[in-house]
Amino acid sequence: MSSPTDTPPREQPHMNPYWAGFGLGLVLLASFVIMGRGLGASGAFTTAVATTVHAVAPAHAEGNSFYAEYLGDGTASPLKDWLVFEVLGVFVGGFLSGALANRLKFTIEKGPRITNPRRLVLAAIGGALMGVGAKLALGCTSGQALTGGALLNVGSWAFMMCVFGGAYGLAWFLRRAWL
Amino acid sequence: MNAPFFKYGLFGDEMSLVVAFGIGIAFGFFLERAGFGNARKLAAQFYFRDLRVLKVMFTAIITAMVGSFLLARFGFLDLSLVYLTPTFLGPQIVGGLILGVGFIIGGYCPGTSCVSAATGRIDGMVYLAGMIGGLLGFAEVYPRIEHLVKLTPLGQVTLAEQFNLPYGLLVFAVVLMAFGAFVAAEWAEGRIGGKAPDADSLLTPARKFGPARKFAAVLIALGLVAAFSGSPYRTALAQVDTRQLALEAGTKADHVMPAELADWIIEGRNDYLLVDVREPAEFAAYHIPGAINVPLAELKQDFARRNERIVFYSDGGIHAAQAWFLIRALGFPSVYMLFGGLEEWHDTVLNPAAPPADAPAKDQVDFARRVAVAGYFGGSPRRAEGPALAAPAPAAALPKLAPPPPAAPPVTKPATPAKKKKKEGC
Repeated sequence: MSSPTDTPPREQPHMNPYWAGFGLGLVLLASFVIMGRGLGASGAFTTAVATTVHAVAPAHAEGNSFYAEYLGDGTASPLKDWLVFEVLGVFVGGFLSGALANRLKFTIEKGPRITNPRRLVLAAIGGALMGVGAKLALGCTSGQALTGGALLNVGSWAFMMCVFGGAYGLAWFLRRAWL
Repeated sequence: MNAPFFKYGLFGDEMSLVVAFGIGIAFGFFLERAGFGNARKLAAQFYFRDLRVLKVMFTAIITAMVGSFLLARFGFLDLSLVYLTPTFLGPQIVGGLILGVGFIIGGYCPGTSCVSAATGRIDGMVYLAGMIGGLLGFAEVYPRIEHLVKLTPLGQVTLAEQFNLPYGLLVFAVVLMAFGAFVAAEWAEGRIGGKAPDADSLLTPARKFGPARKFAAVLIALGLVAAFSGSPYRTALAQVDTRQLALEAGTKADHVMPAELADWIIEGRNDYLLVDVREPAEFAAYHIPGAINVPLAELKQDFARRNERIVFYSDGGIHAAQAWFLIRALGFPSVYMLFGGLEEWHDTVLNPAAPPADAPAKDQVDFARRVAVAGYFGGSPRRAEGPALAAPAPAAALPKLAPPPPAAPPVTKPATPAKKKKKEGC
């Protein structure tokens, strides 16, 4: 994908995990102190999906209790939502960090033993499962595991154990995708 | 200083979106720094090659946990105002398993896939597209499985409450557990994954008190402080001083004026719970938008979250005052009542009286604003010069409003309580 003609700038190594975690923890703490809420990710996409469906088929969206919950009361655009703006920030922050470390690259992350098309099919399937799982669990790794973990939320801890359980349980069958 | 700032009204909804964007940038930045924009790095967790996911996640969790505990314990942060996602144990276990499976198949979770896509990873972009597909599919079947999603509700509950353990002790235990897991992870990376140790880690360098070890020592020490410093909640276990309560009841500090409440509703503030203590039939006939109905007889210890700001109202003021006293005595720290009850609400918000024609301009401007507010809530101002003359008796105003005029926007608002719960979750 990337065919640099000049000598490419060197990709910097990733941050020490403990310090990256510490930084992430401070961001989460700042969110508690400033907003009284934690971080999130999947909710923003749900709002975006609900808004799009509402724009295409208003009656259908309003008749569906799931969409309706994300559309609000119609007094303001549902996209004027905390999580939507936070996730926009995540894209920007990720891009900035990647740019500063010379890690911006059009590429596909995968193990050496899997073809690109297969990897992309798996990515799509994984994403779809994630969408379903996050809605069942009322949150994803950001909203549940990180935020709820730090608040000692009962459901979040149960959820977190199950995420690790599910991933470890299936890891052996997917080793060709990653190793 | 009182935190959370937003919930203490230091800034409004518009500003909160700016804050959201800023926090998001910092969040995305550290996710990318951690290497979470790379699916292979993330997946390495599950083959013991590189246990970054565990290290980063749990370091973040214990940092925020210890920080919020200590800030709350020493009076800076009201922890009870930090939103806690309600627990639905069964769905969250199943959802967690599905998410874990999705993680190892797709290589990302929602947050990390954003960072991955933002740094050009095509698999991250495809993953996001897949997630949108999954959300669409879930939404379409949701009406049929709604009852399953709401199974095994435990409410908004922490491990400390669930297992009746001191919060601080749990904080300490989680810190110890995390560092135990980190040491085990570093060992496993070397043994099973064959990974050379990081330059700065807990197991290496052998004898030096490096930064990572210092960090561990500080967090464990803070955790130890937490273990012995009692409850982080304000007044959670305070003795109720009835004399103090009685004195408080005599002041105006426990009142919310109707006009103030109207502004809160219009602004869409979500940091309070409006409770109608009248009977269900009366509630059904008319209630203030966004209110929930808990008749006086059903008020008890667990009717709401202890840390929630609660505003009671009834027809006049008496029942609300009784509710106020009862709930204050049960140890709820921030309880208010609507001054003058629904009667005052009708007189000042729904049907404000016009000032005399010779009133100063300031009053006229103020009245114009109140007319707009009344319009929002489906009321109309009283036109007569002498407000007392044409003012409909409150009792008469009630049935008039029962079937609200179709054009009135607030009719759509009873969804507000559900909406404000949703708005804070993931």
